[in-house]
Amino acid sequence: MLSNYLPMVEQRSETGPYMKESDFDMAVAKQIADLVKRYGIKFDRKTVVPADDDLADRVYQAGLELVLALGIYNQSTERRIIFSRQEVEAAVATAPAAVTLGTGRDQVVMRHLAVEGRAPAVVSSGPTGTPCSERTYPLLLQSCAQEPLVDCLGGGSVATCQGVPVVPGSPSEVAAARRDGAVAREVVRRVGRPGMHINDVATPITCLGKISGVDAEAGLRTSDAFLVAQIPELKTSYDQLSRAAYQRSIGIHCVDLMTPLIGGLSGGAEGTAVAVVAAHILGVICYSASYHIMGHMSLRWSHNTDRIGLWVFAGAGQALSRNTPVVTTAPLYTRAGLGTQQVLWEVAASAMVSMVCGLHPGGVGATGGSQTDHTSGLEARFSAEVAHACRGLSRERANEYALAFLQHYEDQAAHPDPGKPFAEIYSLEHLEPAPVWQEAYDVVRQSIIGMGIDLDKGWREVRHG
Amino acid sequence: MASLSEALQADLAGALQEGDAERAEQLTRDLLDGGVEPLVLIKQVVVPTLTVVGQRFQDFEIYLPELMLAGEAARRATSVIEEAAKKSGVETTLAGTVVLGTVEGDVHDIGKNIVGALLTAHGFRVIDIGRDVKPSRFLTAADESGCDIVAISALMTTTLPAAQRTLRLFAEQGGASRYCLIVGGGAVTKEWSQQAGAAGYAPEAAAAVALCKLLMEGRRPK
Repeated sequence: MLSNYLPMVEQRSETGPYMKESDFDMAVAKQIADLVKRYGIKFDRKTVVPADDDLADRVYQAGLELVLALGIYNQSTERRIIFSRQEVEAAVATAPAAVTLGTGRDQVVMRHLAVEGRAPAVVSSGPTGTPCSERTYPLLLQSCAQEPLVDCLGGGSVATCQGVPVVPGSPSEVAAARRDGAVAREVVRRVGRPGMHINDVATPITCLGKISGVDAEAGLRTSDAFLVAQIPELKTSYDQLSRAAYQRSIGIHCVDLMTPLIGGLSGGAEGTAVAVVAAHILGVICYSASYHIMGHMSLRWSHNTDRIGLWVFAGAGQALSRNTPVVTTAPLYTRAGLGTQQVLWEVAASAMVSMVCGLHPGGVGATGGSQTDHTSGLEARFSAEVAHACRGLSRERANEYALAFLQHYEDQAAHPDPGKPFAEIYSLEHLEPAPVWQEAYDVVRQSIIGMGIDLDKGWREVRHG
Repeated sequence: MASLSEALQADLAGALQEGDAERAEQLTRDLLDGGVEPLVLIKQVVVPTLTVVGQRFQDFEIYLPELMLAGEAARRATSVIEEAAKKSGVETTLAGTVVLGTVEGDVHDIGKNIVGALLTAHGFRVIDIGRDVKPSRFLTAADESGCDIVAISALMTTTLPAAQRTLRLFAEQGGASRYCLIVGGGAVTKEWSQQAGAAGYAPEAAAAVALCKLLMEGRRPK
């Protein structure tokens, strides 16, 4: 049993079996297809939240077998890193079941959640893969941090620094990382929550850029986190592993970001759920992750709020909740843009399914992260309200609600309402939602309350017991 | 009643759809041995079948593994057909040659791979130079291959400067007039592509194939 697997991971990166990456891709596709068949994993469009413990356990076993069969591919060395069952099971068993995020009065403890459990979720917010303009970024970040039900603040990607495009691996990337860290730190101070957990500086894409964001006074500190990514499917690199090594050495949280692609190498819903489970296991052993981000998305439209995306949250979430101690968040990638009712129905469906299936609600990536400045605090508030209201909800009821919520948006998937960016749906002076956005929120909120979900009681219980 | 040739052509279409490369290659040989013209196989079987496969992928009826297998089967069949065409002195039927890569700093390549698979399926010769590719590598690959099109992919907004740098190098070295430079990927927009001086932009993989076909029409008289 090891407490730090990185030396072993690096050693096996150098000596593991060589494989051409294209061959590894096909091996992943074939292995997943075989496992889905062997374990009898089936997606049912009418049951986006299955209430089948045995199915959840089979999804987990398939994911575990995938890890044991193929390991993870290191793109830097073109070799597979292989693990034994004993190593994997020991790593998973000793993974953290609770992590303390942030400091002081703003500190929160994010715990492993049970299926249909009543333990409160920790709510993340922020751009979530959504690009941001340099001018608006501090404001939209502040709109998130000031929301009382938001517990953590995620960083966004800003393509310029002082008006000049940021070039990866260059001085501008370092400057942008320093800027991102300082902006986030200043924002949490400004809203009176100086100890709030900040999750990542997202502009830099190299190891050097990322770690430039560390600054105890004017940047990220050890109570915060950086993301370390797995490249779809089941791949890492020395650049990613180096981040994990640095983070481990200074004690800052390492967050395992995965983006299995629905319709990609893992195939459809079933295979993607298996890949998601495998990625969690690999994030435990390769990155010693404090917590995970279950960021699967559709290869077609980069969203995860359709039936397949929800089923993957439900299937993989239950699999991990029932078979591991890991702590996982579920970022929501929507089709619609901000300021629309459609995006709120998408948020409601995902937040509810996540909560019921053992996942903390992550940030909202409106428009699947394709449009600039489609982030605000209001959808984060809504996500929190729905998640807190759905504590203890049965999977059967959650499925009924999810199907009802889907009625409000799935037909528009091909041509979603594009919505409007932050500057058009928030007052930039007062940082309050503009009437059009507030009205959309009020309408959807009342509809959901009318369906029997008490959106006020849930968060009040969480806050006040 | 369908002739033996028609039945074999239907079998070949089935093998291509199923991504059975070995069967596709053998059926292609059988058809050529039976006297079917190489051009007929390309025009009546390979291209229409793979067009259907591409559409099914676009519609999410099949997924990436099936597309990749079909692309590989088409590549194997096309290779046999080209070989036969050369032997019989028939002009090559290649739709065009495309150098394809993801720009420096961008390690995402699934989108690029899909474009490559679809282009191959449509009869293009694809020279995939990988991901995180320096501008000079794009230029060298284009010059060495004498390609028609250079397809540049960028997923991350922070890698757009690298895409711009690649286009600039081609412009400085005269490559922009020798090759059609096209751009795509999640970070790229039509407006950006126009400002950056690209000859074309495609928002997704199927559009990239259509764009390449269109650009090749313009290069035919050359």
